[in-house]
Amino acid sequence: MRSILLLAKISWRNLWRNPRGTALTALALGLGLALLLISLGLLDGGHEQTIADGVRFGPGHVVIEAKGYQASSSDELLLPAEVVSKMQEFFQTPKMKNIVQGVSPRLLGTGLLSSSANSSGVRITGVIAQNERAVSLIPQRMVEGTYLTESSPASSVVIGADLAHKLEVKIGSRVVLMTQSLRSPGSDAKDADGNAMQSTLLRVSGIFRTGLQAVDANIINLPLPAAQALLGVKDGQVTQVALLLRQEGESPMVAKALRQDLAGEPVEVLTWRESIPMLAQILGLDHAFNYIMNAVVLAMVGLGILNTILMRVLERRYEFGVCKALGLMPRQLAVMVVGESLALTAISLTLGLVFGLSVEHYFATAGLDLRWIFKAGLPPALVFDPILYSRLSPNRIAWSVGIVFAMATVISFYPALKAARTELPDSLKVL
Amino acid sequence: MATATEWAVELKDVRKTYRTGPIEVPALRGVSLQIAAGEFTAAAGPSGSGKTTLLNIIGGLDRADKGEVWVAGQNLQLLSSGELALLRLQRIGFVFQTYNLLPVLTALENAEFTLLLQGMPVHQRRERVEKLFSEIGLAGLENRRPAELSGGQQQRVAVARAMVTEPALILADEPTANLDSASAIALLDVMEHLNRETGTTFIFSTHDPQVMERAHRLIRLRDGEITRDDTRSSRGTVMTVNGDAA
Repeated sequence: MRSILLLAKISWRNLWRNPRGTALTALALGLGLALLLISLGLLDGGHEQTIADGVRFGPGHVVIEAKGYQASSSDELLLPAEVVSKMQEFFQTPKMKNIVQGVSPRLLGTGLLSSSANSSGVRITGVIAQNERAVSLIPQRMVEGTYLTESSPASSVVIGADLAHKLEVKIGSRVVLMTQSLRSPGSDAKDADGNAMQSTLLRVSGIFRTGLQAVDANIINLPLPAAQALLGVKDGQVTQVALLLRQEGESPMVAKALRQDLAGEPVEVLTWRESIPMLAQILGLDHAFNYIMNAVVLAMVGLGILNTILMRVLERRYEFGVCKALGLMPRQLAVMVVGESLALTAISLTLGLVFGLSVEHYFATAGLDLRWIFKAGLPPALVFDPILYSRLSPNRIAWSVGIVFAMATVISFYPALKAARTELPDSLKVL
Repeated sequence: MATATEWAVELKDVRKTYRTGPIEVPALRGVSLQIAAGEFTAAAGPSGSGKTTLLNIIGGLDRADKGEVWVAGQNLQLLSSGELALLRLQRIGFVFQTYNLLPVLTALENAEFTLLLQGMPVHQRRERVEKLFSEIGLAGLENRRPAELSGGQQQRVAVARAMVTEPALILADEPTANLDSASAIALLDVMEHLNRETGTTFIFSTHDPQVMERAHRLIRLRDGEITRDDTRSSRGTVMTVNGDAA
């Protein structure tokens, strides 16, 4: 124990024999950790934001649809009314109440929306206003008028800004929605083929702008009963039930619980990774790319440390020889070198944590404004807020510190081995 | 005359050759030697005569190619490198030509370095080192680092480091080579005093006439062989044990 203390003391003092070199190496390693923390924070924050936005403009964290809907996208596949009722009971359990933030039944269909000036194909989304507000971001992105309410007339419709521009309509304008009745088992067949063109007069009550062209030019929201009537669907039948959870990480658990609860029913329960696989793939690719970049940065920093420690060891071969001559065991010499490296790492990690977490905190509160990159507007397929907020979990910090610490420790083994293998007579004959 | 087991150091037909590629340089050619406990011995000779190799082999810093090397009753040829390290730590003290103090430690910490490795408690260490420091004129310099000491002072710290474990044997490789005359004489006084007081065996390699004059026994080497082995009696007469007449 005493000899360990002596070795630690020697290691620490050796570190400061060349203060400038030590400071530079510590700064390099600290900067490596800081970069890791900052990039992971922005990456996780960006992903969290992208997922949050993606699921709220789409089918939520978890979506329940009729079996086969995901593969076919056939609007005629509807959830039976009794299944929807059963689900409502499930969400009333105390456990689910704590996990689930919003539940929104939606009826989806396609139609043609026309004004006196123009017409455009649209994606009809029949919603219960109160439920949709808890799940979708559209109600929060109103730029004109108001979103649907419980008391909105059945003829109210909310449309995107691009669509409004194309149709040359404004709040209060009248538009005609033409659609075809769905041919699901529960729908009302209107003719021998089960096809019937329906049209209805609607009044624009609100215009939203999400920044996503696909949403702003296509999606329209109207009250669920109105959509059901228009599409010839019986009350209670919907295309999907979208769930927004308080924590994205709960998605698999909730999906699993729902699958168990709805076992035997003709439904499929999907997490957002399954319902929006492209988003999951893009994020996965981004993660992989980021890990590779971080690995490259860490490898460069690691080589810097290896070089520094190795040079220090080679410079002190004679000294190690003397220590060995005095009775220091090879393993004690190795401990001394590893101790020196660990002390250097500890200083570096402290510097890196202070700097990295300070910058990360700034990006977590003020955000990193990327609007200067997207002056011309976000690309149509891009689903994220151009102001990026960093999110760094304690696990991520521990992981980052751990990986840098482990790297520095492993790297110190080679110089330590070199020191331990110092040949006695040769080293004493150097001078 | 001491018996085989009583010799502090005994070498039997020790041979050592250094090889650099195809070139072989014989450093010791069949050296046999006995040194009794408490002797104050100098090994002298020109550069390349084998002095340092002799000390390295006696100190377990290098291994002989052939022959037997007995130190403190142990055959070094049969010891592992770990056992040799332990022997050096517990039974042998070293004083190097260039002092070889650890620059990051103070004089006191350098002197107690080997005691720390032995695991001696702090109060015992301090007591022993401070006593030794006052005996060899280093009192008051305990907290100075080597760079803040003169050459003579550094070498005395090195002697203290070698002596502090109370070893059976101290090996000093040209200890006065980097010292001025006054410092060299002071150092020799210190070592002779310690030899007399503690009975520790001292073996020097040297080509310094002052050291040769003060040595109680002078072994002369040339081309890896002992050419003379003179013992000086307490009255100053020289008896030639081996080699040509004095």
